[in-house]
Amino acid sequence: MLPKSSLYRSITAILKKDFLNELRSYYALSTLIMFILTALSSLSMSLGGITPAPHLLAALLWVILFFSAMAGLSRVFAQEADAGTLFTLKVYALPQAVYFGKLIFSFLLLAGINIILLPLFILFFNIDSPRFLPLLGILLLGSAGLAAVSTLTAAMSAQARGRSSLFTVLTFPLILPQFLSAIRLTGTILSAKPPTTGETLFLAGYAVAAITAGSLLFDFLWSD
Amino acid sequence: MPKTTTFALLLWLLTVTTLVFTIVPPALGLGYLVRIMFFHIPMAWVAVLGFLLSAWWAIRYLRTKQMRYHLLSSSAARLGLIFCLLATGSGAIFAKLTWGAYWNWDPRQTTIFILLLIYGAYISLEASVEDPARRANAAAVYTLFSFITVPFLVFIIPRFFESLHPEPLINNAGKIQMDSIMIGVLLAALAGITGLFLWLLQYWMKRRTTKVRE
Repeated sequence: MLPKSSLYRSITAILKKDFLNELRSYYALSTLIMFILTALSSLSMSLGGITPAPHLLAALLWVILFFSAMAGLSRVFAQEADAGTLFTLKVYALPQAVYFGKLIFSFLLLAGINIILLPLFILFFNIDSPRFLPLLGILLLGSAGLAAVSTLTAAMSAQARGRSSLFTVLTFPLILPQFLSAIRLTGTILSAKPPTTGETLFLAGYAVAAITAGSLLFDFLWSD
Repeated sequence: MPKTTTFALLLWLLTVTTLVFTIVPPALGLGYLVRIMFFHIPMAWVAVLGFLLSAWWAIRYLRTKQMRYHLLSSSAARLGLIFCLLATGSGAIFAKLTWGAYWNWDPRQTTIFILLLIYGAYISLEASVEDPARRANAAAVYTLFSFITVPFLVFIIPRFFESLHPEPLINNAGKIQMDSIMIGVLLAALAGITGLFLWLLQYWMKRRTTKVRE
């Protein structure tokens, strides 16, 4: 077992590399932002400016977020496979460093997306007296779980045929429990009620379980 | 597998089917529709059994890296998918005849649908990864990860969807609410379909291992 500081340094190195890469190409970020804009405007336009009921709004918000994430996040490992750096990464980096580096990178990308998505969503769907902070909190909790699952599934699908559609197919069943409870919770907040502790704990619990399981299983996936 | 076992299994399944259509009394409120139950419940059980076995062999594979365990895990998943489809189909027909709609996202329908999604994703994963060792690794990891979501689903689904599904065989009070003939036939059907599952599993394993050797 290596000392903690070494793992920490490897994680930050991977994060830094990914951010630099992203800043040079804007590939994942531009896809994510444009996908969100397209999905949001197509829904808002087709509904003609009506504000749907809270639980319907919540479902729309999460469907947009899920498919946007699916459009952008497969890039996290696919880019390494395309550039031919996957093998180098396997040789030089610790599996856990790769997992947590990519996980944090995905999470930060999703967090950035949420900060753009939420105000636009409130604007497009004319939501009166939105509770911005609780909503953002739920979105971030959901993003943590989504990042944990998608890091694993992106690694699985990076070297497969038809990887971007495979990535979505693989991720959806694994994210479902969190997806359903996040929609419920978002619906509660949108109908101007305080979020229930049980559901919030469930969401946080799922994120923790997904991160732990991902970390345990990633070693097997990475060492082939 | 010896021919006598195959023959005995076939005989068993035929007898159970005959019993379902002869001695099983009509159920209160369901009438003779209750006959579907003797095929539906065992199929749903085997769909879940396939998932459990697949996860178990996935662990064995990751520990030992023996291709045999991957083949077992993958065959259990594929058979599980078939039985899952049959259970979903028979359930939908039963639902239409008793509560008026093929599909209404009842908790049990949701659960079995998620199982279908997981099985489907597993098979797409296997089909898309070319390298055998990498395919086996990814498949095992996927099965185990999907296994972790199960307790969460058990918690969230009853809160999300309303249920019309008939009471489980053994209800919360721990009492069995069923005619004794029905119970007997149902247990025989459960044993028969489980036997069929295991028979198909060994048959597929034999075919797939000879294919690997060639």
